[in-house]
Amino acid sequence: MTVTVRRVLLPLCGIALAIGGWWLASSLDDRTPPPSRVFHVLVDGLGSSDGLLLDTRLSVLRVLIGVAIGCTAAVPVGFALAWFSVVRDMFNPLVSFFRALPPLALIPLVIIELGIGETARLSLLVYAAFFSAVIVIYESVAAIDDLYVRAARALGASELELFRRVVVPLTVPQIFVAVRVALGVCWATLVAAEFVAAQRGLGAMMAKAQSFFRMDDVWAGILLIGISAVIMDRLVQLLMARAVRWQERVVR
Amino acid sequence: MTDPTVERISFTDVRLGFGRGRHRLEVLDGVDFGVRSGEFVSVLGPSGCGKSTLLNLAAGFLKPDSGLVEVDGAKVTGPDPRRGVVFQQYAIFPWLTVEKNIAFGLTLKGNRRPKAEIREAVARYVDLMGLNGFEKALPKTLSGGMRQRVALARAYATEPDVMLLDEPFAALDAQTREFMQELLHGTSQRDQRASMLITHSIEEAIFLSRRIVVLTNRPTHVHEVIDVDVEWPRTPESRTAPAFIELRRHLEQVMRSMTTLPTVNR
Repeated sequence: MTVTVRRVLLPLCGIALAIGGWWLASSLDDRTPPPSRVFHVLVDGLGSSDGLLLDTRLSVLRVLIGVAIGCTAAVPVGFALAWFSVVRDMFNPLVSFFRALPPLALIPLVIIELGIGETARLSLLVYAAFFSAVIVIYESVAAIDDLYVRAARALGASELELFRRVVVPLTVPQIFVAVRVALGVCWATLVAAEFVAAQRGLGAMMAKAQSFFRMDDVWAGILLIGISAVIMDRLVQLLMARAVRWQERVVR
Repeated sequence: MTDPTVERISFTDVRLGFGRGRHRLEVLDGVDFGVRSGEFVSVLGPSGCGKSTLLNLAAGFLKPDSGLVEVDGAKVTGPDPRRGVVFQQYAIFPWLTVEKNIAFGLTLKGNRRPKAEIREAVARYVDLMGLNGFEKALPKTLSGGMRQRVALARAYATEPDVMLLDEPFAALDAQTREFMQELLHGTSQRDQRASMLITHSIEEAIFLSRRIVVLTNRPTHVHEVIDVDVEWPRTPESRTAPAFIELRRHLEQVMRSMTTLPTVNR
């Protein structure tokens, strides 16, 4: 099979199959809207600046800001945890605790303390991104092969040089992995947060659609969230492929 | 420093164990030997006897429990660019090109050289190791033999006083290994640099060395030190010289006598 067939045609077949299944389901169950109707809603909604487009833009922006702030903070903290044993011993239990705690469990607290505004939602997202990213970065630094550290030391590298010229480059690929993990966690957190407390955004839109039993909108919301999340994940993957061309990939 | 009686690397009654209590494992049990100026010495011994541990002590990655590890009369306290190290697993930096790998040591603060000098050194070692045309290549595109040549070039480029080689060719195929041995012999022969090679290959030890230090099983001490009486410098023909073959037979016998096979339960 040629590369084009594998890369383009097969995925399209998979998607067509799913839409076919959906269409079949909609003809058997009258609560499920047919694909054509949902696509109509999508086209209409994304066409008007006040409709689905605004909700999508708001949700994507919230996720982006949350991931950006959370991961930026996670990088130095992750490095510090891995590099300084005192810092690690002191904060490891706390990091484990907050990482294990689902961000959604904080919603009641956040609503009481910060209300239901943008600050509340973003705090929750930053929290979710930070703790999911910090652990990935910490573990990647801790897992660096001692061989490279020894080689650099034997060549005369100081602690600072070791860090800057060996540890950092070796960790860059894992920072992208951390961003991808944070993106996933943030989307999950965001939608739930918008269900509970938001005027606009895809989660809020879907919550409203549900109470009015507007199934077309519910399905459109599911599609938009999934597609946005996939596109963001792909973009990070592309960036990563460009940034770490030196990595050896196992081709299957 | 070419006085052949001066010891550049010396181990004096070196003892080292790992773990504690019931899990305590005595590895080195009073190891004594030295590498003299300009001399190439191989350390040969049964697997698990602590050959690499000796190298890690000389490199400064480990400290002995007791005894003395000295290089040029100074006690080894930590890694130092004056002691070059080549590892079995290459350890070249995958994110740097061949030339940047070779230049790495020369761009560090403690050892920094002017740009022109670095360029010159890189060009010289690219040439010496036959890496021409691969200066801008990333390690992932290189074969095992070429990666190890980059590692050798990187270690030699900083012009260390002594060279420590930890089974550098163990992961290579037989042909590449012989080629690399000849390349290394040429280099060390030209530089007259005191070198210590850890190996489990008898052939490699004889081919490269003036002297061979044979270690015992754990807890380890020196079993014997052998002067290799094969014409110097070595050539590919050395491998079939009668003295070479005679010594190989002797060492094979020694190594076999130290190999303890697991007993079969009936």
